[in-house]
Amino acid sequence: MTFIKDFVNVLSAGSISFLLLTSIFALIIFFNLMNGRIRSAGGFAFIGFGLLMFLAGIFVPPLLYLGVAYFLILFVLARLGGRLWDTKIGLWLFVFGALAFGLSMLDPNFFLIAAKPDNVPIVAMIFLLGFFTWLALRKAYLNDTQLVVGGIPWEKTESDEKLFTWPDLVYTEMLCMILLTIVMIVWSVVLRAPLEEAANPTSSPNPAKAPWYFLGLQEMLVYFDPWLAGVVLPTLIIVGLMAIPYIDTNPRGNGYYSFRERKWEISVFLYGFLVLWSFLIITGTFLRGPNWNFFGPYEYWDPNKLVPLVNVDLSELMWVKVLGTSLPKLWIIREIFGLALIGAYLGLPPVMAVGPFRRFYMKMGAARYYVGAYLFLIMMSLPIKMVLRWLFNLKYILHIQEIFFNV
Amino acid sequence: MANLRGLQEGIVNSQIWKSVFRVGIPNTNRKRVLAVLGSLILHLHPVKVRRSGVRMSYTWCMGGTSFFLFLVETVTGLLLMFYYRPTIEYAFTDIMDLREQAPFGIMREMHRWGAHAMVIAVWLHMFRVFMTGSYKPPREFNWNVGVILLVLTLLLSFTGYLLPWDQLAIWAITVGSSMARASPGAGNEGPMSGLVKLGDIRLIHAGDDARFALIGGRSIGAATLLRFYVLHCVVIPLAAGFLMAIHFWRVRKDGGISGPL
Amino acid sequence: MSDEITPYQMVPKTPLAGSAAADIREQGEITRRSFPVVLTAAWVALAAALGGMSAVLLRFLFPNVLFEPVQKFKAGLPSDYSVGEVDERWKDKYGIWIVRTEEVVYALITVCTHLGCTPNWLPTQNKFKCPCHGSGYYKSGINFEGPTPRPLERAKIFIDIADGQIVVDKSKQFHQERGEWTDPEAFIKL
Repeated sequence: MTFIKDFVNVLSAGSISFLLLTSIFALIIFFNLMNGRIRSAGGFAFIGFGLLMFLAGIFVPPLLYLGVAYFLILFVLARLGGRLWDTKIGLWLFVFGALAFGLSMLDPNFFLIAAKPDNVPIVAMIFLLGFFTWLALRKAYLNDTQLVVGGIPWEKTESDEKLFTWPDLVYTEMLCMILLTIVMIVWSVVLRAPLEEAANPTSSPNPAKAPWYFLGLQEMLVYFDPWLAGVVLPTLIIVGLMAIPYIDTNPRGNGYYSFRERKWEISVFLYGFLVLWSFLIITGTFLRGPNWNFFGPYEYWDPNKLVPLVNVDLSELMWVKVLGTSLPKLWIIREIFGLALIGAYLGLPPVMAVGPFRRFYMKMGAARYYVGAYLFLIMMSLPIKMVLRWLFNLKYILHIQEIFFNV
Repeated sequence: MANLRGLQEGIVNSQIWKSVFRVGIPNTNRKRVLAVLGSLILHLHPVKVRRSGVRMSYTWCMGGTSFFLFLVETVTGLLLMFYYRPTIEYAFTDIMDLREQAPFGIMREMHRWGAHAMVIAVWLHMFRVFMTGSYKPPREFNWNVGVILLVLTLLLSFTGYLLPWDQLAIWAITVGSSMARASPGAGNEGPMSGLVKLGDIRLIHAGDDARFALIGGRSIGAATLLRFYVLHCVVIPLAAGFLMAIHFWRVRKDGGISGPL
Repeated sequence: MSDEITPYQMVPKTPLAGSAAADIREQGEITRRSFPVVLTAAWVALAAALGGMSAVLLRFLFPNVLFEPVQKFKAGLPSDYSVGEVDERWKDKYGIWIVRTEEVVYALITVCTHLGCTPNWLPTQNKFKCPCHGSGYYKSGINFEGPTPRPLERAKIFIDIADGQIVVDKSKQFHQERGEWTDPEAFIKL
């Protein structure tokens, strides 16, 4: 039992769980949605990636844990293939999840955090997200099997059939309302809303957390400065969501579940919604303890836990550590590496437009292509910065204190 | 039994009943049509709907759940307003009163849990709409209205978070609102803000930046509480209500509850 | 018949003869040439009116008088503070730490420069540590760990000549990264 707990504690460390989740994401798309086989170029690539993790694990022990978990999941998913979407397997997954959660509740440290009244909805959200993701992908997979052989999606088979609003829709709504009312009343009676002592502006609680739905943003603050994590990125999330229907010109998949007809859109959206947004919220809620330090789910929230923070800027890394000189005075020279790196990153879309993504560029037109590409790049800057932080303790790529411009 | 049946007939055929429900029991197709058309609330729906629009496994019922929870929040919120005063002297004690003394003291609980549930429901609604590709033409505009409603839901919850005026509240809002200080060109610590200068004097400082407008002062205080209260109880619900009307209207106009077009 | 028409009996160009529209036409004719100008003027007027009203609304959100705690207070004599220690006696009331070193006395504002929480002074580790996101500062206020981008701010501090007491004025802050800590108002030289 302790071994399993330690295993999970190591796995849930921000960097590890993030990498694991990202790989599971890719594995599911390949093995379970696209019917990929292990004995294929893609399958070998996935295995090669896992072996690489093992190799790296020789130097960084947690990666060994990651490698073990990765291969376990790889083989399970590859073996299941399309059967992952069977109701029976879905039920097993649910039972497994509920059992893992129930057993974890026996752990006092886990219980303390998971049973906190304000965290209960988030526990519920994890299960709901899991269930609905599974349900949506199941329906997509079932439709895909039809579409592949030239059939029509299930929703279309009955789209001509119309029902009277009274009684069919009205009764469904009525039942939903009654059910929800009962849920709300029971929930309210069983669980008291949290109330701490009266506001005291001179003593911050440890840790001080934003409301749970903003914890993804607060988690981003670990990697980015407030102007990016708190203002620019949230604005771009909203802008990006609103831009989706205008960037996505694919006419297929309108009004029914399907993966094959909308691979890119669904992959990008699910990655952003599940891995970047929801996962960061869950991390921020359950795994960030005093001093915003990271704690595994079964770890005691020790306020005196010492975590050395030795983050360095890219300028220092390059000038001092690599080139062995001191930092230049003038910021434009000092930050030349960061400027070059960001310039190269932001220069990708025009280069790609004439290169490998020419097809997209021609199909979408310049405006759609560039708006979409830059929104995507900005979204991906988050995982990139996270990985850079874990690998090199990188604090800022660009650190221009003179005008408060830190990236 | 016969007596009961007779009583029912008597009620349904009485002048009072008929003045309210003109159609009577909708037991024929014609009456079903008229029942929906003749009612202000029911005519939110079309007379007939696609089969997929009724299937819970297709719609997840999350849009309706969000709306229903909005109504729950409205009702419980109104009840809470009878007890609550948005000043730093009384806010916390009024919440204590609501918690310990108010009859059926679960209104605050229901309001808070309903708020959490509503955020989740709205997310899942967006998730479903995306997964069925229901943002595609002709529904682009309604997707946008939905995104704004999602933001308003978060803002509603965020402004409400401060009102209990306990430790949880003010620090969550301190952290949340501090980000406004960093708005580029509008917050006193944002990039480029230092360049807005008149001679040697910085024009954007803690006393006039974006955060100041949000919280009505340099730090979270009485002005913030009042501001958030007004936003929470009046401004945002009105805006959300207006957009919801547009949202529902456009669902009808853009081809009904989603399904293959 | 047409040659009998004299100029003052000219047939009106539109059927609206004698109406208000015709009057406007006679007094200030809107021609094909002047139409874009008029249109532009109308749009500019509308935009100005809407912009003005929005500005008024926006300005309304910025109060002229703030009902906030006093920013300026007397903090006793310099000898009340022991050398090398961070004094927390004004933390709760005014949000100020007073630090006395061998040479100077300075006042640090108790607001974390990351997201506005109140850091804690940890004497055993000789640092300020913010509980919210783990930013750490040395006793001088310089940041050395965590996500904060800059040091704590110092408040204006000076000796009242009348009674020799320290006066702290929070309404004026000094930022290290702008090179303001060398300002004579940012510290008291002992």
